[in-house]
Amino acid sequence: MSARDQILAALTRHPAPPVEPARSESRPEMPANPWSVLEKRLAQNGGRLVHSHSGEWIDSVKWSCEFAELTHVYVATNVPEPSPTPPASQLPATAQLSTLTSRGVGATAKAMRDLEPLEVTVLYADFAVAENGAVWHVPASPLERTAALLAEHLIVLVPASSLVATLHHAYERIALAETRFGWFLSGPSKTADIEQALVLGAHGPRTMQLVALES
Amino acid sequence: MGHVDRAREFVRDESRTKWHDESLWFVRAKRDEAADTVPDWEALRDEAATIKRDALSRLPDLWRQFETAATEAGAVVHWARDAEEHNQIVLNLLEERGFRRVVKSKSMLTEECGLNPFLEARGIEIIDTDLGERIVQLRNERPSHIVMPAIHLKRSEVGKLFEKEMGAPVGLDDPDALTALARQDLRKRFLAAEAGITGVNFAVAETGSFVVVTNEGNADLGTALPSLHIACVGLEKIIPAPGDLAPFLRLLARSATGQPISAYTSHFRGPREAEDIESPAPAMHIVIVDNGRSDLLAQPSFRDALACIRCGACLNTCPVYRRSGGHSYGTTIPGPIGSVLEPSRDPKAHAELPHACTLCGSCTDVCPVRVPLHHQLLTWRAHLAEGGHHPTRRRVAFGLAGRLFAHPRAYEILTKAGRRVARRLPAAWLDRLTSPWTEARTLPPIPARSFREQMRARERQATRGPR
Amino acid sequence: MRVALFVPCYVDQLRPQIGLATLDLLTAAGFEVDFQEEVVCCGQPFLTAGETKRAAALGARFVDAFQNVEAIVTPSGSCAATLRRHLESLVTAPAAASVAAKTFELCEFITKESACPPLSRPFPHRVGLHASCHGLRELGLGTPTETRSATRIDPARELLSRIPELEITSLDRRDECCGFGGTFSVEEAAVSTRMGLDRLEDHGRGGAEIVTSTDVSCLLHLEGLSRRRTLPFEIFHIAEILAASALGHDLRASTEPC
Repeated sequence: MSARDQILAALTRHPAPPVEPARSESRPEMPANPWSVLEKRLAQNGGRLVHSHSGEWIDSVKWSCEFAELTHVYVATNVPEPSPTPPASQLPATAQLSTLTSRGVGATAKAMRDLEPLEVTVLYADFAVAENGAVWHVPASPLERTAALLAEHLIVLVPASSLVATLHHAYERIALAETRFGWFLSGPSKTADIEQALVLGAHGPRTMQLVALES
Repeated sequence: MGHVDRAREFVRDESRTKWHDESLWFVRAKRDEAADTVPDWEALRDEAATIKRDALSRLPDLWRQFETAATEAGAVVHWARDAEEHNQIVLNLLEERGFRRVVKSKSMLTEECGLNPFLEARGIEIIDTDLGERIVQLRNERPSHIVMPAIHLKRSEVGKLFEKEMGAPVGLDDPDALTALARQDLRKRFLAAEAGITGVNFAVAETGSFVVVTNEGNADLGTALPSLHIACVGLEKIIPAPGDLAPFLRLLARSATGQPISAYTSHFRGPREAEDIESPAPAMHIVIVDNGRSDLLAQPSFRDALACIRCGACLNTCPVYRRSGGHSYGTTIPGPIGSVLEPSRDPKAHAELPHACTLCGSCTDVCPVRVPLHHQLLTWRAHLAEGGHHPTRRRVAFGLAGRLFAHPRAYEILTKAGRRVARRLPAAWLDRLTSPWTEARTLPPIPARSFREQMRARERQATRGPR
Repeated sequence: MRVALFVPCYVDQLRPQIGLATLDLLTAAGFEVDFQEEVVCCGQPFLTAGETKRAAALGARFVDAFQNVEAIVTPSGSCAATLRRHLESLVTAPAAASVAAKTFELCEFITKESACPPLSRPFPHRVGLHASCHGLRELGLGTPTETRSATRIDPARELLSRIPELEITSLDRRDECCGFGGTFSVEEAAVSTRMGLDRLEDHGRGGAEIVTSTDVSCLLHLEGLSRRRTLPFEIFHIAEILAASALGHDLRASTEPC
């Protein structure tokens, strides 16, 4: 008997009685000021909410340094226009950067490793969750996942109209059977493992800005 | 040395005990605040508890379903009957590929199986990437808490450790700076790793997906770059459908640390896509582990403990855990849930643990999945007594007392005589006779007459009537 | 209504005045009170030590003695809790379930029956109320700070709040365990002591002069710790305070020459 068969048999030795799951009929509704609830939750998670209009988001966010001085930026391809274009100053890294953003040959996660440090990654998420300040994001590629993790600063755009009340509502919108990798992101990478002192930027991004885009 | 002795040692340092107790109470308080923001908190607990009980009643079906779906998605599924098999499977996966550099995110299961020492003894470098786990790994000790592994350490102690292991300047104890050093060091490890091992918070039967939850993003970094992802999952961690994740994820972070949700809640289904120039091609291997779980499932008194989602809330609220520390328990998982799970592995070694408890019941009240922890601890005491794991002296004493209490006349005669003696003894003698109690407490004045005697006197008075 | 009074062994031996206060309160409230001599112990210490056979034997005596009474009242939250929660599973006699269901802690009973003698005499003291874990979580005498269910009144608190000039002081940790826990108090004496001292410190921060509870075991533990360190607390069972206000019992007069 294989280990598998032995284990499956062992599980039927003295079976537990069936139980009817007490799934709730009613779920909490969208709060009165959902974005302000989300803002509070996001702030608890170490993130920051920014409201903006599609065309103006580049000006609404706080960049880690002068925008013109950024050289290592990853922008997801589904980020709506305007998309930040690299500055005119042509450092070798910038050439690689445009390779990344255009997803040309050589633009892989492995190549991403060599681009350390990545200053900013800009993502576009599907929807936000009011009760906990998280967004649901499906990276378009392993490259994008890596870029989200290696960047010092993370900017996530989400349509302001795409807001659900709770995780129950969230899972109604997620097709998990078709999702190779997807995550709820709720803030910068963080830890409180040293005497419970909150430190942002444990391994991944130190800051996260969530931009609610009004169309 | 059991919990009693280690706890006594721990409590000797009054200020440190106070600090440890307050640190954990702080987390309990944050959990309370988070629960306040969820209007359907108790209904959620019911939902999560019953989904788990339902799943536990049909594990074989759910795992078969999971295996089919996960395999279809490109993952390879392995089955391990015990810790040794689990460790061997992981080792084989690494050796087949000639991999020697491994990063690992938090997994109490791998801790339970002793994976790290097993691999290290065979020349594999395995680095724990959760900061708290990394700290205890460097100190060569067990985590003292399942969610906050280094909660027992002060920043200065981490500082000293980092001086030794990470080239920190002498006297550095600022958590930001210490974390920055760890970030740098671990970033190198992530980039150099050939394989990433993760635990699994929830396996979803319907889709063959699983969820890994972190605040640091270390599970993601550990699996985004290396080509091999090994996910280790206990038999009890499966739930039927994607929608079932909602109640658990609404309860987990709030119960654990008072956060609305963790920073990263990652859903995996099969290996990541291959990129053109990637070699070797990404692979995902899932190791399903029994290691005593099917035994526990077969015990009606304790099977509910398998519902545990490892949030740690019971540890944070336990007044005994807070004042004795995780290392006092001598187990992989300490605290109330540990004291329920561990004795089933080795009743003899852990017979003390269900007694490291006042049965206050706070643990049961915070458990998001309604494991009746303090009732199970009480049940354990009966099992251990019957199994001969209780000290004989205690059993004899209770046997005598039990007989005495069943004979009211004998009880009255003996206690009357006892009180008479006690009232005549010098206080110091009496204290010594009752010393386990009087070590720290002063006895009250012993009454001359018991309640029964006074009742009888009253009755006699009443029948005599007024004079 | 006739009620049976159950006085636990340690009240009988160490704090008989609590039994008398309970008896007098129930009598003043208009009940006819029978004291049942056949039952010494509810079996709780045996149950919590894992000695279920002994506990079952004592439980069976309890059922035998009390099966024909209307209600059983005891000045002990933990005894009432043990009986209500465990009697049925310990004792096979068919009357076990009904005996369990009619066993009450004192405050619970007089509140349920709306039968408290008027608490008219002032009690000008600051009183810290210790929530006994068994009373709180097994009997439901109050709302635990952990759960978010509908609020449950704490009968002890409610009764104390009726007493003129009595101030119930506050706590940082409203329902943390005192650390008695049965044999825990001697087996894990170090942690038990630490827990008890922390409770007293908490009461001290709230300004309590008196600490009270529905549970004598908690109080014996706290009082013992307090005496050893000559802390400025007086410890009384709630029955004693209620009897002082309702009946003019002198709290501090020892009923017995020592």
